[in-house]
Amino acid sequence: MRIWKILALAALTGLLALAACPVLADEEPVTINFWHHYSAQSAENETLMNVLIPAFEAENPGIKVNAVSHEWAELHDKVLVSANSQQLPDVARCDIAWLPEFEKMGILTALDEEMPDFDEVCAQLLDSAMSTAKIGEHYYALALNTNSKIVFYNTAMLEAAGVSMPATMDEWVEAVRKLSGENANGQQVWGWNEPALAGWNLCPLIWSFGGSLTDPAQTVATGYLNSPETVKAVETFATLVKEGALTGFNAGDIPMTDGFGTGRYAMMLEGPWKSAELAGAYPDVAYGTAPIPAGEGGSISVLGGEDIAMFNTANKEAAWKFMQFMTGEFAETEMAKCGQIPVNQAALKSDTVKNADYAPFIEAIKTAKARPTVAAWSEMDDGLSVTMTQIVTGEKGAQEALDALAAEWDKLLGQ
Amino acid sequence: MVIKSRLSRMQLALLLLPGLLLFGIFTAYPILRLFFMSFCDMRFSSMLTQPFVGLANYREVFGDRAFWTVFANSIAYTLVTVPGQMALGLFIAVLLSGIGRFGVTFRVIHYLPVVTSWVIASLVFRYIFNTEGLLNYFLWKVLGITSSNIRWLDTRWGGLSVAMILGIWKGIGWNMVIFLAALQQVPQELYEAAEIDGCGAWGRFVHVTLPGIRGTILFALIELTIGGFNVFTSIKMITGGRPAHQTDTLLTWMYYKAFSTGAFGYAAALSFVMAFTLGLMAIAQFRAMRNKDA
Repeated sequence: MRIWKILALAALTGLLALAACPVLADEEPVTINFWHHYSAQSAENETLMNVLIPAFEAENPGIKVNAVSHEWAELHDKVLVSANSQQLPDVARCDIAWLPEFEKMGILTALDEEMPDFDEVCAQLLDSAMSTAKIGEHYYALALNTNSKIVFYNTAMLEAAGVSMPATMDEWVEAVRKLSGENANGQQVWGWNEPALAGWNLCPLIWSFGGSLTDPAQTVATGYLNSPETVKAVETFATLVKEGALTGFNAGDIPMTDGFGTGRYAMMLEGPWKSAELAGAYPDVAYGTAPIPAGEGGSISVLGGEDIAMFNTANKEAAWKFMQFMTGEFAETEMAKCGQIPVNQAALKSDTVKNADYAPFIEAIKTAKARPTVAAWSEMDDGLSVTMTQIVTGEKGAQEALDALAAEWDKLLGQ
Repeated sequence: MVIKSRLSRMQLALLLLPGLLLFGIFTAYPILRLFFMSFCDMRFSSMLTQPFVGLANYREVFGDRAFWTVFANSIAYTLVTVPGQMALGLFIAVLLSGIGRFGVTFRVIHYLPVVTSWVIASLVFRYIFNTEGLLNYFLWKVLGITSSNIRWLDTRWGGLSVAMILGIWKGIGWNMVIFLAALQQVPQELYEAAEIDGCGAWGRFVHVTLPGIRGTILFALIELTIGGFNVFTSIKMITGGRPAHQTDTLLTWMYYKAFSTGAFGYAAALSFVMAFTLGLMAIAQFRAMRNKDA
């Protein structure tokens, strides 16, 4: 009888053990969905799929990452549509310009509120880049990669005009004037090119002149957008346009790269992508790079780039681990090899970054500022372009036009 | 018989069903949905809620200075390009209808712009009219008429005029083909009778040709007016709305509002304002032509 009991017990134990096995096997790892806009064929996507995600999954055995590549504009729209149907991913790489909209829709997680170790993570990243993730009082993303603009100058044109690269705004104005006029072929040349009149184009000038667009809390524009410093920056710009020393934003103008490559524009303010473009289209043009000349506000360029954000439907614990990994030293250094400018302080000190083509941009990024991180920015930006057109065509004076625009912006900021 | 007719009715319904379904899903539903959208606050920031705001979008459209600028631009574009391409198309059709040799060759030559891509034609026009473009080169360096480059594309009416020239150039061929077909329908006896009555070439054109092709003129007028209001690619490629949206037309402005600023409610309202305007114009054109008939 005893033997039967022992056998029954053994069988039961075996059954239980067998029953337990599928339970263990069924405990599937958490899968987080990551949407991004690294193009499918790019080196960045290759690094993501073959280096970063395997490394992350090895470090975090219970978590799988399902990365989906989208076109840049498609990703933005996909997020909007998916928000409607509650089908959002856990994490997405977002253009810094999209965050305010997404925040206003109420689909992002306030990381500083929900993640206890947010401050530690944040401290590892560049302050200037993290400013793009702060909307109102809270941080809704981590900076992922960044870029900015610096001055590209045509060395031969500066030498011919006997001008050295200006270091201050006063010198800049003089240099732009001196570099303008006619070349040996009787063609008109311009000292400076600016391809549009939007915030991306005007902000570096306004900030370096000591001006601003809004108050630091981004709640009001009057007193900032129409401050004497901003007006002076805008007036200087408009004067150079009227003198025929600065152009590029008119429909009939020579496109920026062509004008610079053929020696018609002596200087321009551009991002790291311009080096590759010039190397492809105008390999023979000799040029140098320098930070934007310093004015009363210093040498302040404008920030571009991407952040990594978490949606509020996410598996927050796993998503946060992935975000930390993607902004950590290893991932940022790997991505830096593909041309992405890192925001992780440790990665920025790596040899990969120091020897990269974009090394001159790193200094500019440290002092660069983000355009206002408010949901109404696209509308405000359009207003700025329209107002700047009125100013450069002489339809309105700078002070009068900026007073009116500041009042409009106040309303938009108050919404 | 009853069974048979019922069967054929069933068959009819079944045959119509795929077409009706496609029409319903891809035409009728989107239009109704868009109409509903035009009464909602639909922008990026309110995508999830889309609150009903009544006529607020329509008020915003009519209260917007930019709207009146782009509306005037669309009207001007239509007023210039529609008669322009019709007159030139008809002129060439009349010339071509009189010749036997090389008729096909000329028809093909004049029709070529119609089949040219809008994007490519726009880019070519942009290069011609650029401040550093071909036209300025000819005027200044070759002919010596001007002493500096003229900024054709940098002003509102300059940029629009270039788009209008492109619109006319591209539309002549289509008008030529339509009018050429219509001219074949005018009875030859009428011309002979008019000639006997002492009508000259101009008289025959005014008193025989024009009344004879009135239906075609009305058809072309309505089609081209809709086309004129729908101008998009050339504006987008040539000026991009610059300076400061002053060369935008209804469609480029609508696109800008919807896809650049995310004001979908505004854009939806604008599309119905445009459809309503086109409807009114079509009715007016029908009336005008019918009165002439009477």
